Amino acid sequence: MSVQFQDLSTTPRAGVKGPGAAEWLKQLGLPVPDVPNTWLPLGGALGGGLIARLGNTEFLVEGPESVKLAAPISHGVYPVLRQDTALVLKGARLNDLLLETCSVNFLAINRTTRPALLTSIVGVGVTAIPDGDELRLWCDSTYGEWFLDTLRTIAAELA
Amino acid sequence: MRLPPKQGEWIDRNHPLRFRFEGRDYDGCAGDTIASALAANGVKVLGRSFKYHRPRGLMSVANHDVNAVMQWGGMPNVRADATPLVAGMDLTAVNTFGGVDKDKARILGWFSRFLPVGFYYKAFHSKRLFPLWEKMFRMTTGLGKVDFATPHLRTPKRYGFCDVLVIGAGTSGLSAALAAAEQGADVAIVDENAKPGGSTHGASELVARVVAHPRVRVITDTYAAGYYTDHWVPLIERGRMTKMRARAVVVASGGYEQPAVFRNNDLPGIMLASGAQRLIRRWSVKPAQRIVLLAANADAYLAAEDFLAAGIEIAAVVDLRDVVPEAQKSALAARRIPVHAGDCILEAIPTADGNSVASVRTKSGEITCDGVFVSVGWAPAAPLLYQAGTKMRYDDSVHQFVPEKLPDGAFACGRVNGIHTARSLDGERAGSAAAAHCGFGVDRAIFVPAETESPTHPWPIVAHPQGKNFLDFDEDLQVADLENAIQEGFDNIELMKRYSTVGMGPSQGKHSNMNALRVLARCTGSTPGEVGTTTARPFFHPVPMSHLAGRGFAPERRTPMHARHEAAGAVWMSAGVWQRPEYYAVSGQSRLDCIRGEADAVRNGVGLIDVGTLGKLEIRGPQAAEFLERVYISKYAGLKVGMTRYAVMCDESGVVIDDGVVARLAEDHFYFTTTTSGAALIYRELSRWNTIWKLDCGIVNLTGAMAAMNLAGPKAKAVLAGLTDVDLSLPYLAVREGMVCGVSARLMRVGFVGEWGVEIHVPFEHGAAVWDALMAAGKSAGIRPFGVEAQRLLRLEKGHIIIGQDTDGLTTPGEAALDWAVKLDKPFFVGQRSLQAIARKPRRQQLVGFMLPAEHTAEAPKECHLVIEDGEIAGRVTSIAWSPSLSRYIGLAYVRSDMATADRKFHIRLTGGTLVAARVAKTPFYDPENLRQKESA
Repeated sequence: MSVQFQDLSTTPRAGVKGPGAAEWLKQLGLPVPDVPNTWLPLGGALGGGLIARLGNTEFLVEGPESVKLAAPISHGVYPVLRQDTALVLKGARLNDLLLETCSVNFLAINRTTRPALLTSIVGVGVTAIPDGDELRLWCDSTYGEWFLDTLRTIAAELA
Repeated sequence: MRLPPKQGEWIDRNHPLRFRFEGRDYDGCAGDTIASALAANGVKVLGRSFKYHRPRGLMSVANHDVNAVMQWGGMPNVRADATPLVAGMDLTAVNTFGGVDKDKARILGWFSRFLPVGFYYKAFHSKRLFPLWEKMFRMTTGLGKVDFATPHLRTPKRYGFCDVLVIGAGTSGLSAALAAAEQGADVAIVDENAKPGGSTHGASELVARVVAHPRVRVITDTYAAGYYTDHWVPLIERGRMTKMRARAVVVASGGYEQPAVFRNNDLPGIMLASGAQRLIRRWSVKPAQRIVLLAANADAYLAAEDFLAAGIEIAAVVDLRDVVPEAQKSALAARRIPVHAGDCILEAIPTADGNSVASVRTKSGEITCDGVFVSVGWAPAAPLLYQAGTKMRYDDSVHQFVPEKLPDGAFACGRVNGIHTARSLDGERAGSAAAAHCGFGVDRAIFVPAETESPTHPWPIVAHPQGKNFLDFDEDLQVADLENAIQEGFDNIELMKRYSTVGMGPSQGKHSNMNALRVLARCTGSTPGEVGTTTARPFFHPVPMSHLAGRGFAPERRTPMHARHEAAGAVWMSAGVWQRPEYYAVSGQSRLDCIRGEADAVRNGVGLIDVGTLGKLEIRGPQAAEFLERVYISKYAGLKVGMTRYAVMCDESGVVIDDGVVARLAEDHFYFTTTTSGAALIYRELSRWNTIWKLDCGIVNLTGAMAAMNLAGPKAKAVLAGLTDVDLSLPYLAVREGMVCGVSARLMRVGFVGEWGVEIHVPFEHGAAVWDALMAAGKSAGIRPFGVEAQRLLRLEKGHIIIGQDTDGLTTPGEAALDWAVKLDKPFFVGQRSLQAIARKPRRQQLVGFMLPAEHTAEAPKECHLVIEDGEIAGRVTSIAWSPSLSRYIGLAYVRSDMATADRKFHIRLTGGTLVAARVAKTPFYDPENLRQKESA
């Protein structure tokens, strides 16, 4: 298949939101993206995980560092249980797949600014991080099975 | 006939294709269209007209020939002038009775005087006779035949992006694309033809430069079907639709060459000069041997060169202009071809069989010919410009509408812009400006000289007392039809269109609108500019159903137990975006038996239902209780930690919109549920309120992150006991956090189905494991999974309502028998003011329980059947089912308030009109003291 799918759903992750979330994460020793809808790698490469700022006051932490979010919360901090379906997509026809499933022009996105996009693919709300020639996706797990089946079907047609 | 091979022709003579039309075999070539192949075989009659079934042939050869529409197997309305020929095609003309040659319906032409404009409005208003007329019209009208067995093609849709989109790959469009790309823009140029080039037919240096340019994508065989906000243009390709988002659009769509109107102007052999040129240049087809060229512009004389080069004899040029410029006619004069200036064709004379033109009668006399080629002017192909919001004006110097003010980011060039001569220069100007609009280079502001002579004649219409001077070839409208419509008062362009149907056929007026508005202008003493045009709406060209009904996305949500349900024989039903088990099929049992079996397991043993589709929200913060006080109609500030309470939500008009259960986990921490269908809406609405109120609390949506299941029945507690560390002597409506099967869980003591029950909420990833453990633990107790239908039955026995089924978009809490939940003495809640006002008025209706007589065995009412009182509608049934526990039909219904008294009798009307007796009954029907669900020992 000209688009490869890797399922990272079992990677540990946690979320947090609220007006005190950014400060609380800093106190936990995590780097906090300054700009909403951007992300930062944790521990150097992506293998160490990432922290994404999904809005002014909402964050996703993925990877080993996410265990830090089990710490007692403080005022204005609300934990978010993350049970996402998480995927990595790559391959020669990835952009064609995206053109048939999403209204965002991923080729035009400046990856050096580390954008984290909130959009929809095949009608499912996703968080999308383009990184090099890969695309990382997170969606609600209740959509996960249908989401993956649909993407695979279209990818197979493209192949 | 086919001309000798020449360079640049679109056909591949080495690949012959055999096909069939109207039962006869023909040969064509790869690269042919159906029409070009038939023309090469000398076939002139390709179809029959819509109303009078007159023989018709090719006219434009530009995808607008609505009288050359064919049926290809199950595919109706194949446009012969644009559809590539395929080997083995078996084609027939549409809209004939007995074939195109001997169409029996041609007799309708004899009755044309009895079919005046708007005749159906005048003749078919009798209600009594309407079925007869309807049957007759359905039989005699319409185009192709729809094959309902045709498979549903999931044609893909795709998004596209570019800086500059150029629509039309003719001279002006190609020049625009090149100019924009040279300035650095990413350009896409789209054209409906198989090859770029427009009137150059692909053979030009400009085409080669554009195709080779690295920043230009040339998209052929594709048309831009509409123009939407923010330069969003759907591109229709044969196999898919691309939604192209451009930063700027250059409309270089050219013009439609316009027919002249004279008696019998629809005979096969009479066609537009540009159509004849296409046949000659692209497919090397000689469309006639001896022609009369009807002219009114310079284009006609350029076309004449093509005709002569193809070996066509030009018997005469009949020019509508009084004076023909010497430069235009000198070449013809040198060949002794007569040019009759200030002349016109009064009528065309058909051959004996009526299937072709035999001669034309002009002011100068009769001229024998087998073809008439017409070049009297152009209409701008401007629908996309109109849709973009362009303000157009009528330009008397070119006798066409031209853009006066284009919207930001939209540009026009070439014929559609009123530039017919310096098209390349105009394209360069527009391309440069479009690129500059996107931030590439600067607008070169190129000067484009205006036309020195109008390319369009202002009145190419010749009256004839015997009519048959057709103005609209789609709808068989003659000049007199429009004159009569105007005389009858339909003297506005929009009214005239609808009354006469001019421009309402498949070509959407591409060849009729301009002449129609000229007739209207002349009859009303107006100018064409004052008359204006009709509204141009997307799509301006027909889009196949396979594209419109192509691949769409309807996401499905599945709980983590989906595979378990599937394995257990679930019969699925949609609940909003969710898939839920309606019931679990058991081999050898009916649907009803399965549902009742599941209900019986809950009543007498233990059952397990997946309720993970419920909305699941969490709110934390010092003002979390205050927030809930404001959004729900009951009180929560005093709710004790470790307890739950039923919760009803209203909108600001006091209408019930949702319900659920609120659980207090800590002083500043609540977990609450919503209805399945309301989850997303309620979360969005609560987030909106929280933004407005700025309370010190935050809401988290856990709907997808948490799995949930309800274990219920007299044996439920025993099943759960071995799997949890939670003390199960917890009281009814309590909530506890603890471990179930080694997983952190929230347990809520509920009673929706009327038995001892507990909702178990765990993270999504553990849902399936907990389900498995409960099913295994309950095996010896005969546990059964139960579906939505069993739950509906069980809750009905308890008289519990379902929001959306037992309420509608106007139901207040009082009407739904939820007065007890409304706490009007609270300082504020959403909907409070409305409910206070409503409370001062008499109640219209009341939800009540009802029963049918125990002996009722005949057909039972269904949901939505009406309650009838004294012959009047007095309510409706919202829920009804046969109760195994009570051995009778029970239900819920809205009735007039005065009828809502115990044992009040009323009637329900079945679909067939039969009335069924019922009586109001107190709820709960089952276990009225609620002892079973409250049991805590």
